[in-house]
Amino acid sequence: MNNTPLLKINNLTVTYPLNSEGSDVLKALDNISLKVNSGQIIGIVGESGAGKSTIGKAILGLLDPPAKLVSGEIRFLGNSLVGLSEAQFESLRGNQIGYIYQNPMTALNPVLTIGEQVIEAIEANTDMRGKNAQEYAIQLLERADVSFAEDRLQKYPHQLSGGLCQRIVFAIAIAAKPKLIIADEPTTALDVTVQQSVLQTLIKLSQQEQIAIILITHDIGVIAETCDYVYVLRYGKHVEQDATNKVLQRPTQDYTRALMASVPLIEKRLHRFALNEEDNLEDTSTGLHYLQEKQTTQDSTNEPLLEVRNLSKIFITPSSMLKAKQSFTAVKGVNFTVQRGETVGIVGESGSGKSTIGRMILGLEDITEGSVIYRGKDLKLITDSTERRAHCLSMQCIFQDPYSSLNPRMSAGENITYGLKIHNLIDNNKAGSLAQDLMSLVGLKRKDADKLPHAFSGGERQRIGIARSLAYRPDFIFCDEPTSALDVSVQANLLNLLKDLQEQFSLTLLFVSHDLAVIRQMCDRVIVMKDGEALENDSNDNIFEQPKHAYTRSLLEAMPKFQGLAQY
Amino acid sequence: MIRYILKRLWHSGILAIVMSLIVFFGLYVVGDPVEMLSDDEFTEQDKIDLAIELGLDKPLFEQYFTYAGGMLQGDFGTSFVHNRPVLELILERLPATIEISLLAMIIGLSIGIPLGIFSGIKNNSRASKIISFFTTVGYSTPNFWQAIILIMVFAVFLQWLPASGRGLTNSMFGIEWAWLSLNGLQHMALPAINLAIYKICMQQRLAKSGTQEILYQEYMTFARAKGISRNRIIRRHLLRNILIPIVTITGLEVGGLIAFSTVTETIFSWPGIGKLLLDSIHMIDRPVVVAYLILITMMFVFINFVVDVMYAFLDPRIRHQK
Repeated sequence: MNNTPLLKINNLTVTYPLNSEGSDVLKALDNISLKVNSGQIIGIVGESGAGKSTIGKAILGLLDPPAKLVSGEIRFLGNSLVGLSEAQFESLRGNQIGYIYQNPMTALNPVLTIGEQVIEAIEANTDMRGKNAQEYAIQLLERADVSFAEDRLQKYPHQLSGGLCQRIVFAIAIAAKPKLIIADEPTTALDVTVQQSVLQTLIKLSQQEQIAIILITHDIGVIAETCDYVYVLRYGKHVEQDATNKVLQRPTQDYTRALMASVPLIEKRLHRFALNEEDNLEDTSTGLHYLQEKQTTQDSTNEPLLEVRNLSKIFITPSSMLKAKQSFTAVKGVNFTVQRGETVGIVGESGSGKSTIGRMILGLEDITEGSVIYRGKDLKLITDSTERRAHCLSMQCIFQDPYSSLNPRMSAGENITYGLKIHNLIDNNKAGSLAQDLMSLVGLKRKDADKLPHAFSGGERQRIGIARSLAYRPDFIFCDEPTSALDVSVQANLLNLLKDLQEQFSLTLLFVSHDLAVIRQMCDRVIVMKDGEALENDSNDNIFEQPKHAYTRSLLEAMPKFQGLAQY
Repeated sequence: MIRYILKRLWHSGILAIVMSLIVFFGLYVVGDPVEMLSDDEFTEQDKIDLAIELGLDKPLFEQYFTYAGGMLQGDFGTSFVHNRPVLELILERLPATIEISLLAMIIGLSIGIPLGIFSGIKNNSRASKIISFFTTVGYSTPNFWQAIILIMVFAVFLQWLPASGRGLTNSMFGIEWAWLSLNGLQHMALPAINLAIYKICMQQRLAKSGTQEILYQEYMTFARAKGISRNRIIRRHLLRNILIPIVTITGLEVGGLIAFSTVTETIFSWPGIGKLLLDSIHMIDRPVVVAYLILITMMFVFINFVVDVMYAFLDPRIRHQK
């Protein structure tokens, strides 16, 4: 065994031109060096825009123009990979170096069967053909823990779950027994409940086949579980590198510490995420005053703010001339109450009916059976239109996708206040200053109120969404997976903001998420849902420390645990 | 599948009835066939006799039901002008139109799609820009003008190809076809190219935009990362995906070619059904026009059905929809 590392990158710099002449450039990677030994698993961690994926693409010659490899050296088994021809890369890709994409649903071609896609990789990189290739494909799927491997070959990607598709991508990546696999966020697009087992499969495969892995992720928690060595990147620049346990126990950089603090823990409920947040320099007093004015209406009764009684939802596909009518029960007889100032979490996998409950409470979805009592009244029984409107406006929503939930043709400020204008609750000249007040309150700059949504990052857009819901001075906000589309660090910032706002204005939140750790950090009480039924409804501590239902226990077991991080 | 076909048949039945109603009553408003068929020497009595002979003396709705009743039994009526069964007239001319349309479509697809894929992949190259320039010109200049230019260049100056007629025909399955002889093919060339220019341009643009959309999908990069050769990626991963929109448009275009190649057929004196339709509308030859349009409607329904089947064949996501 000689000492040549499997892969060595020296001072790699990759740029994107920012203008057409190319005089102004963005350095996606700035002077990055790293090393992978054979059989080793290394992690590259950083937020979006850190240039993590660019490294993987540069290694395999997959950088799309206008990205440009400006300088640096990439050596694989001692041979330079910089400037190879497409044909030379072809013999390397799949064969020597495998690649795993973030989202398996988009990495697999939707119009080709799983079999076609696995077998073409086998045929491209090995001598096996026809029946041999077919048999080998089945073996590969079995090794990647795909059940009913033979049947799956006939299926198309859309017929399988995301977790299964990702296992199939693994099978493709290991087909030619490559020496290195680049795994670019291999579990980010999957449901939290399956992330753990999918990741374990990847680790198992690499150990069986002696394959080195470069694991690229924004979630330092994933690194903690899997990698021997970790590189931390920010804005394309090197921040810190060392053996994983050293970095996790004694991080030398503030940035690494903040990344670690942003991972939501399931073991312990923290008051806030310990981030080094920048101070809000904007003047928030007018915004605070606007929201506190409303508080006077609060009554001191002990009645719950919201009571959901025996709520059910059946979706019916109407019958057509030649097709019988079909029905699907999304929610089955759910009961719960939410007290003033409380945060209640609903947790469950996709399709468990958790969002449907929120939509019925807000009146966005018709109620099939049961009732929703809010502020002591059932919306269906309110006949006075003014009261009805006030009733509806005091319930607001923060949506899951910060990209599609803002009107792209309206400025941030207009997005925040246009609802108030429609209801004639504010006049035009006051709307502008109110939007700025609210933006300052959610940690955005007042002067950005005139910018269009596309000028903001995902986390900032979600802040605009929060400001929009606050504009109505609501008593109750339904948060529908507000952070699931965001990076962990952005998520932590946003969750801190929600916690602060709740304390300041005693808001009542109904928080829906598939991520148990987020629920653990955010909620006072938790409802566990599966297939439309509420299985368990208990305090945060009871659910996470003494779960009663077997399903809750299985969900908790599927969650990754990071003892190493617990101290932060 | 059977349920789907039944549904389609039901829809096409309704369509045929609506179509026949619109055309039948529409043509009644346009003019009186008796006036078109009679010349100056006709007396009033002659005209009444003619109307009785053609069944035009009866109330309009009764005329419609007589006609519709006949049609249900496969009788599409008799032409007022030619005094021959309509179906016979149409079938006699249909092969000429079909062969010219299909040839044009084949030329259009086999040149347009490769050009489109090429210019989609090499988007910024000079060649791609030149191709796109010509297809834009081809797309936006009128069909009849292109026909005249073709005749001037290839028939008048170069004298390579004949400019009118169908040439020699040979018989196959009891039908006369021009493409079976060299002379016939020569006669087909100019009208087919005339029809094909527009199709080439359209296919190029469709294939180009499809290619550019698919090219940046993650599964294309992933296919490269798998180590698959460029040619194979284009043939399997790209072509399969861009064919989905192309098939839809091509289906409708074939229908359009067969039904409405009137201008080209007129310019090149091609004895197809397009010319028959034009003449019949002119003469208010109601049985021919109604039967023609109903047959065309049926043809479009059939083409759409074939397109849907191919669609499902190409895109498994549609196949598995309930």
